[in-house]
Amino acid sequence: MNCSEIREEYGAYALGIAEDPERSEIAAHLARNCAECREGVSDAMATAGLIAAAVKFQKPPKHLRERVVGMVDRKKHHSWMWSLLPWGVVAVLSVIILAISIPAERQNRDLEKLDAVLSIVNDPTTKDVTFGEPAKQSKGRIFVSGKGVVFIGASLPKVDPGKTFELWVIPATGKPVPAGTFDTKGDSTAVYLYNGSTAGAAAIAVTIEPDGGSPQPTTTPFIVTKL
Amino acid sequence: MTFTGIILALDMSGQPDAELARQLQKRDPEAMGKLYDRFGRVAWSVIVAIVRDESIAEDLVQETFLRVWNRIHAFEPGKGALGPWLLAIARNRAIDHLRSVGARMDRNSFELDVREHPSLFVTMDRDVVNTDHARVIRQAVARLNENQQKVIELAYYEGLSQTEMAERLGEPLGTVKTWVRTALKHLRDELGEAAVTA
Repeated sequence: MNCSEIREEYGAYALGIAEDPERSEIAAHLARNCAECREGVSDAMATAGLIAAAVKFQKPPKHLRERVVGMVDRKKHHSWMWSLLPWGVVAVLSVIILAISIPAERQNRDLEKLDAVLSIVNDPTTKDVTFGEPAKQSKGRIFVSGKGVVFIGASLPKVDPGKTFELWVIPATGKPVPAGTFDTKGDSTAVYLYNGSTAGAAAIAVTIEPDGGSPQPTTTPFIVTKL
Repeated sequence: MTFTGIILALDMSGQPDAELARQLQKRDPEAMGKLYDRFGRVAWSVIVAIVRDESIAEDLVQETFLRVWNRIHAFEPGKGALGPWLLAIARNRAIDHLRSVGARMDRNSFELDVREHPSLFVTMDRDVVNTDHARVIRQAVARLNENQQKVIELAYYEGLSQTEMAERLGEPLGTVKTWVRTALKHLRDELGEAAVTA
């Protein structure tokens, strides 16, 4: 489509409500730096953006500022994380407790794993996204850095025998990249570390796959978190 | 005066985005505090208005600010508008949440959302949170006709696609598209005029 055919949808695109084929066409024009579409969409975004100011202003809770700043302030990082993730803390602590009570060789492996987890969680450039909600199945947090992914999940669904969870790194374009399989601890929680490339990752997803994992997803992801 | 010129003329914040953006690009945690102080309240208000759940809104506000922090290097100090960019991200996070809860995740959910690229937020009113401007904008929205207000509400606060709106309202898709288009055009025209007299 040329610019004149998609011009009328700039506003809908700016509001995020345009549909294919116009949405894909506008995205493609923007991707190739089409000056006319860039100016038109930018202008439409200006209008759409002003609608935010029409909202009734409300005061956020006081502790939210600390949470937000704490994400990037190493001095405060632990405090917000601990307060936010009681079950996550339990999971991490369980790794530590396990490490204390197991043979030295495995203890070393688990401590290395814990160290890798904390290095991702503590990295100020790490992307930190949540999924799920308190009342729903499957909730948790995913930390993604250049070093890998830390997945912390609770209330995960039960899987049939012979099945397992598989994590996927989803690039902006191209096929999902398999990032390993994991299982729950029997109490529907899981902490999983993927030590691998996340270059170009646009989303993280989790599917249920046959034991051993699949090279490409064979089921619809039950968790998808955009980064 | 062009619309772009008008909205640039609305910029009375006195605190240049460029300075704060450079501070953020230097990974200064204090800059995150300043960013929150400037836009935390309006980001919270937008997100709460969409998700209507304060505990979820807290997570989404956090995600919003983290996303700005992670993508600030794509922001060109002196050219971009931090507030509108951040508010677009806030609104997108909230709409994404609604869509995921309602199993309405669209098929392009894996695509990097080009609509959030800072380069698209270069010709905007940087001071959208100013009380006087907010009043002017509310009045402009209130002057839309009933159908136009409805589609703007369904689009902005519920993220319904035009097809979904047509189904919800029992109207032809073409009619809904026209309402959306004319609503935005009226807002654009109204806010231009209103801004001159504000």
